[in-house]
Amino acid sequence: MAYISMGEAHRRIIDFLSRFSDSISSQDGAALKPLLAVSSNSSLLSLADALNIFQDWARLVKQADRTSQQLGEIIVPHLRCIQSYRIGRFVEAYVAFEKSANAFLQEFRNWETGWALEAMYVVAHEIRVLAELADKELSSMGKNPEKLQGAGSFLMKVFGSLAGKGPKRVGALYVTCQLFKVYFKLGTVHLCRSVIRSIETAKIFDFEEFPSSDKATYRYYTGRLEVYNENFVAADQKLTYALMHCNSRYEANLRMILKYLIPVKLSIGVLPKMSLLEKYNLTEYTGVVKALRSGDLRLLRRALHEHEDQFLRTGVYLVLEKLELQVYQRLVKKIYNIQKQKDASKAHQIKLEVIVKALKWLEVDMDVDEVILHYVECIMAILIYKNLMKGYFAHKSKVVVLSKQDPFPKLNGKPISS
Amino acid sequence: MLSAANQGSQTMAALDPNSMENRSGDGVSQGQAPAIASHYTWPASATQVAIPWTYGANSAPFENTTTPGLVHNYDPLRDSTASEGAQVAMNSVLQTPASSNLVATNGSQSYSGYVQNSSSTYAYGYGNIQYQSNYYGQPHQASYTPYQQAGASQNSGASYRPHSSFQNTGSYATPTCYSGAYFANDHQTAAGYPTSGYFNQTNYWNDGSGGGYPLQYASYPSSDTNSTPSTSNATTSSFPYQQECNQWSTNYVPSVTTVNYMPGSGGMVASTVPTVTYSFQNGVPLCASNQPPPPGTTSWRGDLGSSTLLAPQARNDVLSTFPHGSWEGKAPTEQNYYLTQIPSDLQRASESKLPFYENNVGSEKTTCVTDPSSSLQVFPIRPVSQNPQQPLQTSSTMDTCRVSKMQIPTNPRIASSLVMGMPKLDKETSTTNAAAKPAYISIQVPKLNNQLSSSDDADAVIKGAFPPSVRAYVERCFSRCKDDAQRAANKLILSEIIAKAKDDGTLWTKNWDMEPLLPLPNSNSSGADQNILHSTIPSLPKFPSRRIKSRWEPVAEEQIDPKVAPANNDSTKIIGWAERMVGSRTHNNMDNGRNSMKFPQQSLLSKTPQRPEKKSRFSDTANIIENGSSSSDSDKEQALTKHYSSAILLENSPEERKRREHRSKRFEKGQERQADLKQFKPKGAGVGNIYLRRANALMLAKSSDDQSTAVEDIYWDALTVKGTCQDVEKRYLRLTSAPDAATVRPEEVLEKALHMVQTSHRNYLYKCDQLKSIRQDLTVQRIQNELTVKVYETHGRLALEAGDLPEFNQCQSQLKRLYAEGIKGCQMEFSAYNLLCAILHSKNKRDLLSSMKSLSNEAKKDETVKNALAVHSAVSSGNYVLFFRLYNSASSLITSLMDLHVEKMRFEAMKCICKSYRPTVPVTYIAHVLGFSTSVKTGVDHENGANGLDECEEWLKAHGAVLTFENNSELQLDTKASSSTLYMPEPEDTVAHGDANLAVDDFFTRAS
Repeated sequence: MAYISMGEAHRRIIDFLSRFSDSISSQDGAALKPLLAVSSNSSLLSLADALNIFQDWARLVKQADRTSQQLGEIIVPHLRCIQSYRIGRFVEAYVAFEKSANAFLQEFRNWETGWALEAMYVVAHEIRVLAELADKELSSMGKNPEKLQGAGSFLMKVFGSLAGKGPKRVGALYVTCQLFKVYFKLGTVHLCRSVIRSIETAKIFDFEEFPSSDKATYRYYTGRLEVYNENFVAADQKLTYALMHCNSRYEANLRMILKYLIPVKLSIGVLPKMSLLEKYNLTEYTGVVKALRSGDLRLLRRALHEHEDQFLRTGVYLVLEKLELQVYQRLVKKIYNIQKQKDASKAHQIKLEVIVKALKWLEVDMDVDEVILHYVECIMAILIYKNLMKGYFAHKSKVVVLSKQDPFPKLNGKPISS
Repeated sequence: MLSAANQGSQTMAALDPNSMENRSGDGVSQGQAPAIASHYTWPASATQVAIPWTYGANSAPFENTTTPGLVHNYDPLRDSTASEGAQVAMNSVLQTPASSNLVATNGSQSYSGYVQNSSSTYAYGYGNIQYQSNYYGQPHQASYTPYQQAGASQNSGASYRPHSSFQNTGSYATPTCYSGAYFANDHQTAAGYPTSGYFNQTNYWNDGSGGGYPLQYASYPSSDTNSTPSTSNATTSSFPYQQECNQWSTNYVPSVTTVNYMPGSGGMVASTVPTVTYSFQNGVPLCASNQPPPPGTTSWRGDLGSSTLLAPQARNDVLSTFPHGSWEGKAPTEQNYYLTQIPSDLQRASESKLPFYENNVGSEKTTCVTDPSSSLQVFPIRPVSQNPQQPLQTSSTMDTCRVSKMQIPTNPRIASSLVMGMPKLDKETSTTNAAAKPAYISIQVPKLNNQLSSSDDADAVIKGAFPPSVRAYVERCFSRCKDDAQRAANKLILSEIIAKAKDDGTLWTKNWDMEPLLPLPNSNSSGADQNILHSTIPSLPKFPSRRIKSRWEPVAEEQIDPKVAPANNDSTKIIGWAERMVGSRTHNNMDNGRNSMKFPQQSLLSKTPQRPEKKSRFSDTANIIENGSSSSDSDKEQALTKHYSSAILLENSPEERKRREHRSKRFEKGQERQADLKQFKPKGAGVGNIYLRRANALMLAKSSDDQSTAVEDIYWDALTVKGTCQDVEKRYLRLTSAPDAATVRPEEVLEKALHMVQTSHRNYLYKCDQLKSIRQDLTVQRIQNELTVKVYETHGRLALEAGDLPEFNQCQSQLKRLYAEGIKGCQMEFSAYNLLCAILHSKNKRDLLSSMKSLSNEAKKDETVKNALAVHSAVSSGNYVLFFRLYNSASSLITSLMDLHVEKMRFEAMKCICKSYRPTVPVTYIAHVLGFSTSVKTGVDHENGANGLDECEEWLKAHGAVLTFENNSELQLDTKASSSTLYMPEPEDTVAHGDANLAVDDFFTRAS
């Protein structure tokens, strides 16, 4: 910590206080914004140094508060938060910030216009970030991380203050997205439902009215929810919207969207180019895509196993798992094509033992022959049943009889029928 | 303060002797009744000073009072005084000199008597001194003692009496300050004394009256202090006088003096009694002097005589209690006076002091309470008696008369001066407990504040005045006490010890930590000063009982307490404080205790004839009072005798015994409860005490300091049941109330019960019932160990076996928690179950994801878990072959878990087969792959294959499959035909409410 003279510290504090009260008295949201951004405004760190040196800053606040009322309730905990944040005490920082944020929200409610929306965004963002940091600190101390939950309830309060007919309603979607982040982090995504319902059904909200960045974020999260529900068509729509409306400069955001969009697309039979995976560094999907292309069941299983933790964490594991049938389809199709090259007239009849042999080559572990026969027979039946193959299975002769017309219909954006 | 006061007092004292006498005479005649209360305390040394005081303020009132309609007269006075407030005080001061002159006669009388008393009862003086010192709080003491010494007999006497009585009253209101003032006054002149006391009272009154309580209070102390140091004691004194007068008036009403007297004397006797009596004597003279204007002037002695007449029994009692021959004559009167004073004080206390009372109760419970009660009683009686007497007495030159008159006049004045409403309240309150109680309640808070502000608060005083080591010592002493009697005795002795230490100046230097604890049973003789103790000891036994009673007594009575305490104010306070502490520790809520305590007292009161008399008289005016007093003389006497006898025989009287028994029982109970709470005994002892315990714990939570015991502070362990039931078998019954230890089985029995269930061959319903009761017993006893896990695992498995998913889920969630706490069990097995549940029975993919996420690497290698994951993939891909292979090879429990999914899986499989197979599929194959036969591996029917085949055929038919015979009689499934006819039949055991377990038929079959 660089040494700062008392006078300098005093000056900085006074400067901050005057800027703060000025921005509020002049209703300058843009000026207020950076003053609240504890975690992302580096100039506040120097203020924190000043606060550490000038211990009696509360007095200054009090003096300043004489002219501008009520602000003390916001500023004092806010400065304390900055101080705690500076020295890495995030739990304290969060507690102080929450106090300050509540006071700010109190004021915010009284402001008719939406001039402070930007500042409120910052508060909503900061409280979430600080809560995450605080929770990290708490769990490292072996305590119950509960701050993010507290941040969630604060954000709900903010949402309540925005959900009205006034000009502030356009801010609701931003807060909703912050709430999504909190809920997804906490694993309590079921809590999203109420917010979604009010956003999508309340008459006061016109979805098109919201800022496009918020809309993209919102679609991203709702798309993810659809992935959880294995509702691939809806997930595809939402994630695609997010992808389309996401600013192409934010590659990280694009990647996050693709992380979910790719499995969704895969499950409806749309394969990405390898260049796309490389561009966004989504190499965990390369194996899966390759397996789908080649009908290599072993490769799919290996890829799934390799990135199991990651897929489980993001929640796409179950989606990818279901690609197995498509891999089988690809495999049979390959056999069919080979047979077709040999003898086009008999190509539509695929003997079960041929498929089993192929699987054996792929070293798919199957114990007894008889079992594997039953097993493969079952899979063929399922492929037909799921409309991945056209034809029938003759049990007596153990032969898959394929339709001569389009024996392997493409999904083309439709999910596998169940 | 003290020094100033002392100085003032000294000067006063110097003046006093002369003036004192004069005053005393005058005072007696004038403000007898009013002065009495305050005067009492003042009497000896104070007499002189006090007299002037009283004169000033009282004189006028007294004159007014001289007329029979004392109360009425008083009122005017009161009004003037009240309104004037400080001015009045000033006036009174001014008047004092004059009054002093007037008093002279009375004063002389009283004085003479006083002297006698003092000489004879040097011990008393001593006691008084101590009291004074105590009163003063620590600071005053030093100065005080010298004064007393200087004052010699006079001072001592005066200080004693006044202090004891007055101080008590005053002290209650604003103990330390007052006491200090009193002392100063006493030393200087009696006037100061009374004034101080009055002030206190006035303060109280004001407080009681309402609004400016704290403010007044603050001002009061200051005024007191000022007055004392500056010889202007008179002013201050006058105030107090007035107040006292008011009190008197209020007190006046009751004619039961004797009764009150009795208690008061008893209480006094115990610890303070000697001093009290002295003070009385002194006070009487003083009062007389104060009162002089009316009838009192001439007849101090006469007053005494009257008082004696009025309360001959009292006198006798006093005598009997107090072995002071010379005192006796005066003593009775004095005592009466005292009593009257006390009553007034008490009344005030009741009104304004009620808060005090609480404090007292809390800290000084016994002493204070007793005093108040006694004094209260006295009050009512006195006034009545006095009033009547006065006329009579005046003629006969009875001191009592004067006193009564004085009191009455003063009382009115005081009341008026204080607050109009208040005086009324006082009167009323004094008469009726009920009335007093409300006042009490309302006042309580203010008092506390006042006390705090004025440092009167017992705690504050104690804490501030006494070194922590002393407090600790006192606490130690009290912690050893087993019952109230002991405590009271302890308190007495402790107060003496502390007072002594204070006098010696060793309070702060003594190593209290090393001080030997008092012997428990009869510490009386051992601990206290010989002089005082001697006199007091005999009465000691009474004391505790008395005090206790008074403590718990109704508000009005309680209010009186302060007066008694005066002697040992500080010490008693600390003791009381310690008691409180101990009490709180022992979970005796003050409130509860108070309430409970009160009842006995009330009953006592009601028993005594005094009460009714009091009430009636109270309500009545002076005239009525007079009549009542005259008519009720015999009653009074009886009451007195009763009281006396009871007081004297404290321990022996059946009543007392009863009460004691009751009390001791109560404590025993409390102890038992505590014991229960703390050391939950394993065996039957605890049985049936749950409710008590619970109540106790809750009470604790509620009471322990009444204020803020959060729920989390409750000692919940105390509520945990420790079972004593030895029955291995127990039916489950959902608890609707607190568990009863008698029906809860301890752990070892539960273990047996578990074994019994495990080896039982009875049906699931029975086992489930048993296991639920085991679980319940575990829960209520908060047992969480491997047995708990075992029970839940057993139940979970049984539930799986029986397909009881809700029950299984309960067990599963409990097990999750228990495993998370690190308790060993079959965690893998149950995480596999958990997975299977998520796979098969939850539509929520996130559940599955999270349970898959939570699997450790170790778990993933576990065979059971692996199989579960395989089941998952089979289900998700619809691979019925894999599914049923797993189904057939899985452990029976997993099979049963999968059972719940089999039907669904088979139907799906059939749809699949019907769509994808052409033209037919042999039923044998279907039976194979759909798990109808036990082994799929060979693909060939085993011995039981036939059974499986039949079953499969039935199942297929039930689901609308079309079966045909082809060729050589092998049953075939016509897939094309079946694909359109397949349907999912309604499960046969489906019931309307959806829970097959509740089906009546099923229930009966299971229950059989």
